[in-house]
Amino acid sequence: MIKNNDSSWQSNIAKTITFIVTKDCQLACKYCYLVGKNTKERMSWDVAKQAIDYILDNEYDENFNHDSVIFDFIGGEPFLEIELIDQICDYIKSELYRRNHHWFNSYRFSFSTNGINYHEEKVQRFIEKNITHLSIGITIDGTQQKHDLNRIWKGDGPERGSYDDVVRNIPLWLSQFPGGATKVTISSADIPYIKESVLHLYSLGIHEVNINCVFEDVWEEGDDKKFEEQLMELADAIIDNDLYKDYACSFYTEHMGKPMDCKLENNNWCGAGQMLAIDAAGNFYPCTRFAQYSLRDKKAWIIGNIHSGIDKNKLRPFLTLDRCTQSTQECIDCEVASGCAWCQGENYDAADTPTIYQRATAICKMHKARVRANNYYWNKLYRKLELEGEEKPAEKTFNLNC
Amino acid sequence: MKTVGLVTLEEKNEIQTLFERRNGLNELAKILTPDNEALYQKLVKDMGETGTKFQKWWDSMATKYQWEGSENGHWEINFETCEIFLIDNN
Amino acid sequence: MLKYLVIQLADDAVSYCHYENVTKGGQFISTENLKAAIRFGMVENLNIQFVYPKRALPVGYAEIIETIDHTKILPCDASVVYDSHIVVFNGVTEIENYKLSKEQIAILRIGRNEIDELPRIFNALNGKCARVNVVITDIDKFTDSEFDSYKATLTQLGNTVKANILAGDNTQLNLLTDRLVLKAMNNCNAGDETVTLMPNGKFYPCAGFYYDNAEEDFGDLTRGLQIKNRQLFKLDYAPICRHCDSYHCRRCAWLNRKTTLEVNTPSHEQCVVAHLERNESGRILQYIKDDFEYNTEVNIPQISYLDPFEEHKKW
Repeated sequence: MIKNNDSSWQSNIAKTITFIVTKDCQLACKYCYLVGKNTKERMSWDVAKQAIDYILDNEYDENFNHDSVIFDFIGGEPFLEIELIDQICDYIKSELYRRNHHWFNSYRFSFSTNGINYHEEKVQRFIEKNITHLSIGITIDGTQQKHDLNRIWKGDGPERGSYDDVVRNIPLWLSQFPGGATKVTISSADIPYIKESVLHLYSLGIHEVNINCVFEDVWEEGDDKKFEEQLMELADAIIDNDLYKDYACSFYTEHMGKPMDCKLENNNWCGAGQMLAIDAAGNFYPCTRFAQYSLRDKKAWIIGNIHSGIDKNKLRPFLTLDRCTQSTQECIDCEVASGCAWCQGENYDAADTPTIYQRATAICKMHKARVRANNYYWNKLYRKLELEGEEKPAEKTFNLNC
Repeated sequence: MKTVGLVTLEEKNEIQTLFERRNGLNELAKILTPDNEALYQKLVKDMGETGTKFQKWWDSMATKYQWEGSENGHWEINFETCEIFLIDNN
Repeated sequence: MLKYLVIQLADDAVSYCHYENVTKGGQFISTENLKAAIRFGMVENLNIQFVYPKRALPVGYAEIIETIDHTKILPCDASVVYDSHIVVFNGVTEIENYKLSKEQIAILRIGRNEIDELPRIFNALNGKCARVNVVITDIDKFTDSEFDSYKATLTQLGNTVKANILAGDNTQLNLLTDRLVLKAMNNCNAGDETVTLMPNGKFYPCAGFYYDNAEEDFGDLTRGLQIKNRQLFKLDYAPICRHCDSYHCRRCAWLNRKTTLEVNTPSHEQCVVAHLERNESGRILQYIKDDFEYNTEVNIPQISYLDPFEEHKKW
């Protein structure tokens, strides 16, 4: 009786609370920003319970009075800790109900997984038990060649890609989550494979591909040109084969690449500070990217812990951060500024001083290339629709969180 | 699938909350056992009441808006657009 | 634009602000660095302030210092008495036992536990020095009930200020009289208008940053000033402060970083304290406007909040 698109569930009005349940993962992806992964830091039940109690005890605090909540589980690979997650989710459900907490009527459990142990009985039992409240994304980077370029198994010995171990679980996943979206990350070496990878994901039955370039400074001379060509070839394939009717790719967004006003369009891009992340030690962070295992050069940005609660002073810089105050004059004056993204954690990590107020601009030339290809996509699509006498398709919105 | 009507945002919010609550109660029922007597009793009562409210919403909206129906069909709502669809069960 | 150079003559030079002096070996600045620092101040056309330790300076330093026009900042218990411009007192007892001259400025560093003493102390100092600068060293630890009692203290101080105005006396009190004459922000501005040279020959926004982490310097006398992200010390890059009219607020970058981890973002406590002072200044201003037909362009309107952060969603 009900229809809903769960990939963007209650976006903008839900509080996201992230449990970093483990810093371990089966894979050692080459582009992974988690520089401090390890097998030791696993969240205990005691820490998880104290975190939940603190959050639910503060139902009416401005940090937790949102209409909806997304309990997000990340790692490393979260499903390595499925037993703990199961215990956490059961506790959340029964506590929300016991306390008559307003979130009982509006919660989700969200996962980004590498998909490797998706089929395992423990994971499947958990999914079956919580199916109406789950949002699960499996990361698959595209063709086997593209996927295995970066997403390799951890360990010594010859490099081994993980494509086969993931792709076998895609049909099961799509049968449970037909609207399931995947997240693709592009680094310098991936550029030549973008077109075939997106088309490959469509052919697997994945209708929504959320894709973004890494924010780190990894780009080489000429990458922007190659990137633009790939996106234009992909645009041709999507439009010429009418794929735009049933499939979406977040690279193409109608309203982007325009100048922006510092008064009227001054919101921060990133949601760090609106979220809350908790690690195994019981520390709180404005987002997982501010935990020590995510940072190359800076100290963790801890905003409190399960014992003393949130130090609201340490959230003030995030909640008052706007676009122009952190941007260079070049970014402020940019003719194609809209749609250019940033990650607050990467900004902090790459900054000259320990600040979130210095915008990293490594992605600049890739954004400009994307804007050109995006213009090509929409011009081509509109002309085709015009010639065929069809109406403009409604634009899809994307979940482009880091 | 055929669009047969539209409800207001407030009406949509009402059924969305009931829908979420019903799902929440169903999944809670999978983990709650009768030995937790107080909570279990509350849950059983709540499931009945929520189910009734849920059906009542569809009945009253159908009466209010006089949506087109069919013997082998049912209605669905799109929470993003507030649209009501008639779905053929065959 | 840089205007002031603070030269700390020793590692254990007196703290005249919020930070605590965490002595690191008691090293004096070398005479080479002292001369180079003075030269730097001269060529950059900066006002120079020397900050003294309690101990006497080594032989020869005084002569070097006197080669440039400057201001001295001394602890009240300095072993050598100078005709100093600014004297620093740690706690009420120190200032009670000291005879200030009318030209001198007193910096009184106190904790929250001594705030109740302020009306009595200010009454005693009234007319005996040019100015009293009160620094509440543990401002970041204020609780809601302490805000209430601080407000009551400010009301008492306000009565003294009003009486002073009536009597034609003009001993200034930074907490209340500065805002009466300000039409724009007038803050510490460390890192923007002021830099501090420590005895190691390196620049910092202020000594507090050096005591926190000496590795995070702003350049040195050889390389010159290298202020990274300097814009963050400017008002335009402070999202809360640029919307604020507590113009007298110290807007302490060191305290900001300590409490919020960003030099451009003040803590809730710093904002509330500054607004309690602002509001009391507003009452004084209204009094002199009403009773003395005092004509001024300064305006302190009534507002409904004590922390401008509460308004941030409207910006």
